[in-house]
Amino acid sequence: MKQDFPIFSREINGRPLVYLDNAATTQKPSCVIDAMSDYYSSSNANVHRAVHTLAGEATEGYEECRRLLKQRYNCDYAVITSGTTEAINLAARAWGEYNLNAGDAIVLTEMEHHSDIVPWQMLAERIAVELRFVPFENGLLDMAALDVALQDAKLVCVVHTSNVLGVRNPVEEIIAKSKKVGARVLIDAAQAVPHEMIDFKELGADFLAFSAHKMCGPTGIGALLVSGGAFSEMKPFMGGGDMIETVTLQGSTYQSNEHKFEAGTPRIAEGFGWAAALEWISKIDLKSHHSRLLEIARGVSKQLSEKGMTVYSTLNPGDAAVVSFTHPTIHPEDFARLLDAQGIAVRTGHHCAQPLMDKLGVNGTIRASFYLYNDASDAEIFLAGIDRVLEAMA
Amino acid sequence: MSWPASIQEIIEEFQEIEDQFERLEVLMDFSSEVDELPLEEWNDSNLVRGCQSVAHIEVEIRDGKVWMKAAADAKMVQGLQGILSIAVNGSSPQSVLELTPAFAEEAGILVSLTPSRSNGFRTMFDMVQNSVKESIQ
Repeated sequence: MKQDFPIFSREINGRPLVYLDNAATTQKPSCVIDAMSDYYSSSNANVHRAVHTLAGEATEGYEECRRLLKQRYNCDYAVITSGTTEAINLAARAWGEYNLNAGDAIVLTEMEHHSDIVPWQMLAERIAVELRFVPFENGLLDMAALDVALQDAKLVCVVHTSNVLGVRNPVEEIIAKSKKVGARVLIDAAQAVPHEMIDFKELGADFLAFSAHKMCGPTGIGALLVSGGAFSEMKPFMGGGDMIETVTLQGSTYQSNEHKFEAGTPRIAEGFGWAAALEWISKIDLKSHHSRLLEIARGVSKQLSEKGMTVYSTLNPGDAAVVSFTHPTIHPEDFARLLDAQGIAVRTGHHCAQPLMDKLGVNGTIRASFYLYNDASDAEIFLAGIDRVLEAMA
Repeated sequence: MSWPASIQEIIEEFQEIEDQFERLEVLMDFSSEVDELPLEEWNDSNLVRGCQSVAHIEVEIRDGKVWMKAAADAKMVQGLQGILSIAVNGSSPQSVLELTPAFAEEAGILVSLTPSRSNGFRTMFDMVQNSVKESIQ
């Protein structure tokens, strides 16, 4: 598969690139790069407005992205955003602000990415909602604590798959419990959609947020899928062109579809690119790749433990192929730079999940995350790279 | 660009190394050049902000010369502090203010000097120069 990705023809520090930072962003296949380049070369125009040929092609291409999203994830409303972060902020502004009151409870978990913590803290500052955090132990959410937190809750926001640990949370059970108490549910699916198929209606959540760039699409574009019920309760928060129906000096009326949440010129080239990525990934058997990558990650995890590392990922069935680890004495930053010197790209730091790091009792971890184009030889090179680091630091 | 002799020597030492891994090993060796700031003197005012690792730098001017003490939990960051120490320790405030951080790029130690969470060198360099500026005002 690597031949579909031009970046794998380059070398880093004289070595072939071994890219294991996929939980941060994935590489792009030629079809995605070409789709964006072709749009700028031959169809560049603004969308939804003019009647000329280019405008028609641009609109078609951009809306094709939305059509593919709705088809792939089985949903009625797909608001296109700049990514997961904007999607969650949109839910907080366009739904939270109009449907929650002071004292209403929002349930979150200690495992959330900052993008699913900070927007709710900001909402709490504005309208004094209460935030309840469900703890976790050994990578597993405390479901008894969830039951307690759910009492009178109005909204539940949970990460589907942790970006740090790769842990897949029991979102189906969480949604069922939340629905019983009448709460709306938002799922942060940034790390989920790259690895497994999600049927939005079957899942039963009200909001599903994710980004294109973690599934081989471009950066700068993502989506908020919204249930019909929640969509009818949302009001636009960002005003401007494209989202209106009529504007007079006395006031404005808004579009009734997703456009009312997409003020201004959207990310058109990125829409073309994401559409190409969605077409590309639709031909991939995610399930079999997921099993393959999980096996590779488990092998890596086992060897890292044997080499004296502490591994935090559980790698249970369903988890993403993410191995987060630390060494007792070598700083993650030193580790990552010495791996980079060997052409191996991993992530270090708090991974935008400081509360989770506090819980683990570390300042940061080293994270190797595997994706579709990674294979057993990448794992071998990575482990050999680790050995060289351990030797150098002994 | 011309550098003080001590820096020029370091640049040449790094430029002779072809393998990036070996270059980083040499960088870590420079961590021993640091006049270490004892743990009990680590505080908020000498904390290097925006660095992935925990790093501290304290600068003082004694008898008209600049002296820095430093420490970091990452060996490479302390290595950068070691090189900075060689560049500034015993120099006049004026010559420290005339230094630019570009020598780290020239030596091939860093790909970029852009301040970011992953690269505290620029922040540390600015911190030393700002401390010197404040001390002589």
